[in-house]
Amino acid sequence: MPKRKSSKAPPAASAEESSPRVRPIWTGTITFGLVSIPVDLLTSVRARETAMKLVDEEGHPLGRQYFCSKEDKKLDQDDLVRGYETDDGKMVVITDEEFESVAPEMSPDIELRNFVPLEQIPPLYFSKPYFLAPTGKSSKAYNLLAATMEAAGKVGIGSFVMRGHEYLVAILSDNGVLRADTLRYADEVRTPDSIGLPKATKPSARKVSQFAKVIEEFTRKEMDPAELEDDEAEALHKLVEEKEKNADDVVKQSHLDEADAESEQDGGNVIDLMAVLRKSLSKNAVVKNATGAKPISFAEHRAKRAVNKSDTKPPAAKRPARPKSKKGARKRAKR
Amino acid sequence: MARAIWTGHIDLGKQHVGVKLYSAVEDRTVHFHLLHAKDRAPVQQHIVRKDTGKDVSKEEMRKAYALDRSTAVILQADDLEKLVPPESRDINLCRFVPRAAIGDQWFDRPYYLGPDKDDEDYFALAAALEQKQVFGIMRWVMRKKRYVGALSSLDGYLVLTTLRRAEQVLSFSGVEPAKTSAPLASELKLAKQLVDSISADFDPKLWHNEYHDRLCKLIAAKARGEKLEPVRKKKAAPQRDLAATLRASIAAAKEKKVA
Repeated sequence: MPKRKSSKAPPAASAEESSPRVRPIWTGTITFGLVSIPVDLLTSVRARETAMKLVDEEGHPLGRQYFCSKEDKKLDQDDLVRGYETDDGKMVVITDEEFESVAPEMSPDIELRNFVPLEQIPPLYFSKPYFLAPTGKSSKAYNLLAATMEAAGKVGIGSFVMRGHEYLVAILSDNGVLRADTLRYADEVRTPDSIGLPKATKPSARKVSQFAKVIEEFTRKEMDPAELEDDEAEALHKLVEEKEKNADDVVKQSHLDEADAESEQDGGNVIDLMAVLRKSLSKNAVVKNATGAKPISFAEHRAKRAVNKSDTKPPAAKRPARPKSKKGARKRAKR
Repeated sequence: MARAIWTGHIDLGKQHVGVKLYSAVEDRTVHFHLLHAKDRAPVQQHIVRKDTGKDVSKEEMRKAYALDRSTAVILQADDLEKLVPPESRDINLCRFVPRAAIGDQWFDRPYYLGPDKDDEDYFALAAALEQKQVFGIMRWVMRKKRYVGALSSLDGYLVLTTLRRAEQVLSFSGVEPAKTSAPLASELKLAKQLVDSISADFDPKLWHNEYHDRLCKLIAAKARGEKLEPVRKKKAAPQRDLAATLRASIAAAKEKKVA
């Protein structure tokens, strides 16, 4: 039916700008049977190290701004409506109320309708990962669901509406923490048939065992963090450091952190998950970078290298202000 | 027939398998135009200075890497050029790992691979991956960008899913619930029963994006000048104590199965 057009989707709830507090992107309830678990949904994907800011030649922070094409007037979110262009060129305006009217489950629930083994979900279904933090007074039901799924090796499947989209979601337990993965719907995933790949033919046993041998030879038990490191970030850091040393293109401007991210997808925010979890779940929670080995921010990265270079420099010389302000910068870059 | 977005070859030691890359994702999102509410004129996006609100032309725009809140290094076009990785058609193997070694959080964007010229090698590699139940960790450069991905087999075909970067994925350890909110053994047993009673195989076809359908219907109705009745909201059931709720849930689940 409707064909795709430029801007994506309805009700804009993109008000989560500069707030020092953790702001969930969705708040609601997971229901499993008749048990309900109030939760906050938090982004878990951090921005890439290579995320950059938009500035002008002097380094003044820049941002994206909507204008009316007729009046050349600045527009706020409140001035906007969404229109759908039909095949015959007619523009149909859909109001926020109408968007809401087609989402009766807006009563924010994720109903877990069945439980499946995690390994049955093929990689191509996973869309975006989130964390779920318990809200409300008791986290008992939260812990119960986490412990039960962990013991059973199962994940719960359900769907929910967020920001005018209905999402299919898998809820899973990760060391006692509930996480959510949005999943693609079956009709969003192509098949060899729909792509037009050739019919599968039965390969010769000799060829298969040849490849099986190679696979055996190169199979290891674990991933190697070094193989997942960001080469682009490494190259970027080197270049930036060199330019900084030579005072080449280094700009000083106030409110630089408020500049929009250069790529709209790059506006990932950093939230203090540790604080959230400590408060809501466990005093002993440890949140770490996937590899555990690589420092998280550029500032820490540099500080560590500086320390390595000269042992005389105490770790206190880590420019303590940096990691903090950097975090602020990222947070504000979100949307 | 979908068009391949890239062609390369998988390098496994001495073996090379030519492949074509196809997006495995179909965009079903309903896309809208942003309009000015008052005059319904389309909206344009400008890039402006945050402090003065003045328009900035494309030529004046720069990318900068922020060192802190007030210091940044501007990267000029020739700097950015230096960061572009050398072109290559190789999809290099780092290692194979058991499927369970890559968690769900890593998977980013999936691509189907199709054979390029030699069908037999392609299907033999897929069969071998299936037999060994492993993911291959691959690195490659595509359209001036570096990627890391997991090579796997699905129904006899090869799938290459890009992976997020190490700095993007977080993990937990040492999460222990406070004693007062730890579930009791009896509650765990009941919850396990409940989970078992609604366990099934993963079947994405059972799930349908109803919101999408309703939205399409609404648009069609409005385009014809009709009005749609709003759908009613459901009411939430009140929460009782945990064990009683679990028992009632199990009973309800059983009833559903019989019916």
